Formats: sequence, structure tokens, C-alpha cells
Amino acid sequence: MERKVGNSVCLWLILVAHPLWMTMVLANMEGDALHNLRTNLEDPNKVLQSWDPTLVNPCMWIHVTCNNENSVIRVDLGNAALSGQLVPQLGLLKNLQYLELYSNNISGPIPRELGNLTTLVSLDLYLNSFSGPIPDTLGKLSKLRFLRLNNNSLAGPIPMSLTNIYSLQVLDLSNNRLSGVVPDNGSFSLFTPISFANNMNLCGPVTGRPCPGSPPFSPPPPFVPPPPISIPDFKYGGPTHLKVPKCKVDMSYKHGRIDIGTREVLGSSGSPKKHL
Amino acid sequence: MEVWTVAVQSVPHLRFQVPFGRRSGAKQDRELQRKLGFCVSFGFESDISCLKSIKASLEDPSGYLSSWDFSNHTEGFICKFLGIERWHANESEVLNIKLSDLGLKGHFPRGLANCSYLTGLDLSGNKLSGPLPEDFGRILAFITTLDLSSNSFSGKIPRSLPNFSYLNVLKLENNEFSGEIPAQLGQLKRLKTFSVANNLLSGQVPNFGSHTAITAESYANNAGLCGKPLKRCQSTLVKALESNSVVIAAAAGFGIAFPFSVCFFLPRAPSVDRLRVFYRGFKLW
Repeated sequence: MERKVGNSVCLWLILVAHPLWMTMVLANMEGDALHNLRTNLEDPNKVLQSWDPTLVNPCMWIHVTCNNENSVIRVDLGNAALSGQLVPQLGLLKNLQYLELYSNNISGPIPRELGNLTTLVSLDLYLNSFSGPIPDTLGKLSKLRFLRLNNNSLAGPIPMSLTNIYSLQVLDLSNNRLSGVVPDNGSFSLFTPISFANNMNLCGPVTGRPCPGSPPFSPPPPFVPPPPISIPDFKYGGPTHLKVPKCKVDMSYKHGRIDIGTREVLGSSGSPKKHL
Repeated sequence: MEVWTVAVQSVPHLRFQVPFGRRSGAKQDRELQRKLGFCVSFGFESDISCLKSIKASLEDPSGYLSSWDFSNHTEGFICKFLGIERWHANESEVLNIKLSDLGLKGHFPRGLANCSYLTGLDLSGNKLSGPLPEDFGRILAFITTLDLSSNSFSGKIPRSLPNFSYLNVLKLENNEFSGEIPAQLGQLKRLKTFSVANNLLSGQVPNFGSHTAITAESYANNAGLCGKPLKRCQSTLVKALESNSVVIAAAAGFGIAFPFSVCFFLPRAPSVDRLRVFYRGFKLW
């Protein structure tokens, strides 16, 4: 009897302490998180069909890419007709670099837990129906290069913490319902009115509208961008028979002097490749 | 597409503004996309014509721009173009153009005006020549990085260049720019890197205040430039005097010689009488 207990204690110690076991636990945690996401989304095109939670890790799931240690580094679900909401468990993907959820119909808030994804390089939530504020926790994403939240229903202010992300190269917050002052310090000195166009009530030098209570701009900027204007609907009544190419393949062109690279590489069939 | 283009042109004040209409039409775009199975993006035509005009106006001896094939309008064709970086993965609006060290010849491509969302332009290290357009500031309203260095551009730095109030990086070194640097460049608050070294510029440099990035090196090898942080500019009076030196010398000579000769030739008399004689002599003359 005692020998049996001793054997089982040894077995448990080996299992718990072994690094492979720890990796498996981690990978399983990431699989659980993604499975959580799947249950919260509606998927009419069955793009998440391969997301089998009984597998040891999510690395064989289509639209999921892992590194050499079976930890998720990319989730590519752009243009997938998904709806529903995101889950806080996404913040558990601690090695995630690319979160591509653009051009869907996902609604609800942007989870604050996304601020825990400290290795994130690209956060693309554009062309969805996200609402609520931009979480200030996103300011912790110190490696972020691409932040594209445009064309949603995000409201509230632009968090000042974003100006501390010095790796930020492309920012698009246009076409939302944001209000308040647009920073132009820190990393935001790179951004022009393009990044903030068509919002609810943004103010500040970049917008050309002084914020209430602050003095007029001094000296006046040489080029004053106009405030957002609403374009009459006739502009959208363009011919519907036009075929305009959809950009699916992006050539990653490394820049010597201007190091701004779009690292999205998608397969020619439109579904993402598993490895970069 | 023609309908949209005409609509924009009929509202002239929209010409140099951010085309808001494109983005806010995106929801309708997606509906059309779902129904028809392809992407309809109203900003597409403008950026395509921008790239077409760049290719048309530049000589490309090494054929690097052969990847810019406009004949085959299959899905995703613009995405394979060398040196083009876009704002978004599923839209065509051009974010940055980098075509450096490709041996390109020709003049500055004016068609860039149609790339309304362009923020970065790098044409450095080519064989481009000629002057920059005077309405430069209206062609590229939202540019943050402009690198035209190591080409053969000539003529003046356009006075509209200071309109680029979002400029962070301005590199014009190793060209043949002449004339003065527009003074209003000093008002560019976001400028972090600036160089006009190795040109043929002259005159007073802009006043950048206490900007730490602008040093004498920014202006190196331009014999005619002056002003802080370079040597002090000579005042305009001294300059005028220098340019009319012969006339001035003669006038100075006359002004010195005349009183001396009068005093020498007048008979010695009390100073008051001498003055009266001088006065009468002057009246007679």
C-alpha cells in the first residue's frame, strides 16, 4: 500500500515539474481561451470549424499560428463574416503578435484584457461594430506597430497612454464616435488628420477645432485641416456593377530607411497561411 | 467610379481634404461586397491613377516597376506592387511609397496628388531631376516623412513646403537646390530630422528656435547659407555697399576731397568770414 502511494506521488511530481507538461498546460490554456472566443461568436461561414477543443493545443487550428513552443502568435480572422462579441480570455495569449479581426460584424466592447498582450505588434479591429471606449490599458502594448480601430462605433476619449507607444507606426481611429482632445505629443506627432477623421466631437490642433476652454491656437498652423463634414448620400450611389480588386496579398517590403512594414502575408486563396 | 470622381471635383474645397466619404461609406461597401462577392472601395480609383501616373512619368531603366502591372485587374493586383505600403489589408489606399536606389529618372511625379492618404514618400538615391512643383504643399498635404535626398533635383525649395505642418522628417540633401530656404520652415513644430546639406542654397536659414535636431550639419556644403547656427549673415546695408562699391568709393572720395580743397584754397581769415566766402562761392557756383 505504501509503495503504491509512493509511486503515485513520484508520478505526480514528474508530471507537474516536467517542462513539457507545463507547455502543454499553457497551450491548453490558450486553446481554452480561443475556444471561449468561438463560443461567443456566430460563425455562419464555418471558418471556426477546425477549432477542436479536444486537441492538445490550438496550433493545428486553421486561422491560428503558433511559434516553435506551440504558443499562439497569430489569429487571422479578417473578412470572416463573424458576429457576436470578444472575450476577456483573449488577454491570456501571452505571445500573441497579430490579432486580425477586421471586416466582420463583431460588436460589444474592446476587452480591457487586451492590454495584457505585451508582445502584440498588430491590433486590427477595423470595420466592425465595436462600441464603448478605447481601453486605456492598450497603452501597455509597448511593441505595437499597427493600431487600426477605424470604422466602428467606439466612443469616449482617445487615451493619452497611447502616446507612450513609441513603436506605433500606423494609427487609424477614423469613422468612430470618439470625442475629446486629440494628442499630438509623443508617438502621435507622426499622425495626421487622416487618423482621426469623421468622429463625433474631437478637438485640438490636429482637427482644426480648438477644445472648449482652451485658448486659440498660437501661432496658427500653416495648414488647417477642415473639420469633419458629412458627405451627401449621393456619393455612395455609385454603380454597383463595378468590379474593384480586393487586396488579399500584401508584399512585405522591408524598408531600409523608413522602417514601416506591413507584415500581413495572406495566402492567395484568401485564407491565411499558417506560418510567416 | 466616374460618378464618384465627378462628385468630388464638383466640390472644389474637398480637393485637398481627407476624402471622408470613402471611409464612412465602408459599411455600404461591405454590404455590396457580401451581395456581389467583391470589394467596392471608392478611394481605389484615385490611388490607382496616382500609381499609374508615377509609372508613366518616370524612366525605369532597370525595370523595377515592372511589378506595377495595371493591365491585369484580378483581385489583389495592387498588393504586389514594389515599394507600396497600404493603410489596410483589404483596401487600396496608399500609406507609404518607397522607391529608393532604383536608378529612376525623370521629374517629380505630380500624379502623387491623387494619393490622398499618403504619409511617407521616399524617392532617395535615384537620378530624378528638375524642379519641385510650386504647389508642392497642396499635392502632399499629409506627408510626415519626405526623403528626396541624393537625386539631381534643382530649382528653389517651394515656398509651399511649410504647408506640410505634419512633417517629422525632411531630407533634401545631395541635390542641386538653389535660392533661399523658405523661412516659414521654421514653423514646422514636428520636424525631428532635417537636412539640406550638399546643395547650392544661399541666404538666411530659417529660425527653428531652440530645436536640438537642427545643427550646422543640416546645412553643410552650401556656400551661400548664413544665420544661426552658421556664421552671421551680413546686414543689408553692408551688402548694398559691397554691391555698389565703385560708386560708393567715388562718393566717399568726393566727400572727403571737397572740404579739404576748399579749406586749402581760401585765404586765411577768421572762421566766420571764411564761412561767408564759402557760402558766396557756393551760391555763385
